[in-house]
Amino acid sequence: MNILSLILIVTASLFFTGIVIRTKSIFSGRKGPGIFQPLKDVWRLFRKGAVYSKTSSFIFQIAPSIYFASVLMAIFLIPFGNQPGIISFKGDFIFFAYVLALGKFFMIISALDTGSSFEGMGASRESLYSLLAEPAFFILMGSFALLTGHTSFYEIFSSLHFGSYISYAVGTLAAIVLAIIALIENSRMPVDDPKTHLELTMIHEVMILDNSGFDLGLILYASNLKFAMYGALIANFFLTPGYEWYYSIPIFISTQILFAMAVGAIESFMARFRMNHNPQYIFMLTSISLLIFLGVLLILGKIA
Amino acid sequence: MTNILLITFAISLIYLGVANRLSSYISTLAFQGILLFGVAFIELIEINWVILVFVLLETIIFKTIAIPYFLNYVVQKNNITRDAEPFLPDFVSIVLITVIILGSFLLSNTIQDPHLRKIFFVVALSALFTGLYIIVTRKKIITHVMGFLVIENGVFVLSLAVGNEMPMLVNIGILLDIFASVFLLGIFANKIGDVMQEQDVEQLRNLRD
Repeated sequence: MNILSLILIVTASLFFTGIVIRTKSIFSGRKGPGIFQPLKDVWRLFRKGAVYSKTSSFIFQIAPSIYFASVLMAIFLIPFGNQPGIISFKGDFIFFAYVLALGKFFMIISALDTGSSFEGMGASRESLYSLLAEPAFFILMGSFALLTGHTSFYEIFSSLHFGSYISYAVGTLAAIVLAIIALIENSRMPVDDPKTHLELTMIHEVMILDNSGFDLGLILYASNLKFAMYGALIANFFLTPGYEWYYSIPIFISTQILFAMAVGAIESFMARFRMNHNPQYIFMLTSISLLIFLGVLLILGKIA
Repeated sequence: MTNILLITFAISLIYLGVANRLSSYISTLAFQGILLFGVAFIELIEINWVILVFVLLETIIFKTIAIPYFLNYVVQKNNITRDAEPFLPDFVSIVLITVIILGSFLLSNTIQDPHLRKIFFVVALSALFTGLYIIVTRKKIITHVMGFLVIENGVFVLSLAVGNEMPMLVNIGILLDIFASVFLLGIFANKIGDVMQEQDVEQLRNLRD
């Protein structure tokens, strides 16, 4: 039954981006594409061959596969309520962060491999923003490891129980911080605009300008999977252990749908930040995670 | 519940570091007033109801309604530009405010006093230093007033920790302080607005005798 979380995340990834796009089209009053349009795009790309530039080396060719594999590997670690993920061991949230970082590293060097100046610029921005988001994730997960006394996703989430007011506050804050980290890691609106057509203002989109066909399809589908993965991580905060499957699966699905709709609403009503406003926005997450850490110390009674 | 309100207060301090419009400063101050109203209500519920009503009215009317309204009025009357115009980039501000919060946290951990509730101390101290930091790094006189109000909020938080013992004295002092500061600096800003066009402390450097 450990495969349940993988099945649910893959299912959620099939319609996640579709819901985001549908929400955006409803808010802007357009008819808009159907829910499965992003998936059809990916399928169309999967049936195409890839074109490789003569100046690029093998790194450019293996990078999309490694990126996809790293996201899939990270998904294996995500538990579902009181079911562990496919892989679960002590300290697996560190593995989670760095296996994602490995995929990102390969995307960055493949962007540099193409020799395009725009792609190098995008790669530098992407690495800066993930560098700033990393301490927030670690302080957050570290606080929960301290709170529960365990160090793997499954043990943390299965022994997490909310008792007092402050633990609810900490849980809510953690869910918000994780949602914003998901937006940054997926290069969505307040940090990066996925719909932009100007290379100078792109971050993630500019890195994959040279990828085509099957590789591009892999990258696009990996970002869908990544969204569903973070949605699952957020949903785990609300899946208090002891729930039966007929409660937890609807909670999971509604969390994913709400998250997707929130992303769509943010993209409809917010403008992208100016590039030099991004670092402080991302660093704010680290500050909030430190406050979560403070809250955890309060719960544990380390400070009165 | 008090802890949640105080942690939200600390988050609003972090937000003050990155906010770059005067209107967001003013709304953050109003929000802090609401938070302090909540904290005061929960903490002081046991004291004499006259004093309680006074403290609650002070927080809700002065901190949440009157002062933000007055600050808005000053900003609009004097045609002050809407940007906060810090000397330092916002990224440095937020790093420093985080360091302030962490530092006051570490400082409070060295104090071994069973009577002192440390979360009040941490939040009050970080509000104090954040207010000082805002005063030091912003160009406009109006942002100096706002920094001073943040310091006042910090002192108010600290006084709430001991509010059960001596509420009246502390609160009259704070009320007078706030009133005097905003009133005087409002007049000051108005007068300067008549003489000079810009309310920028940089201009004071041009003064010669």
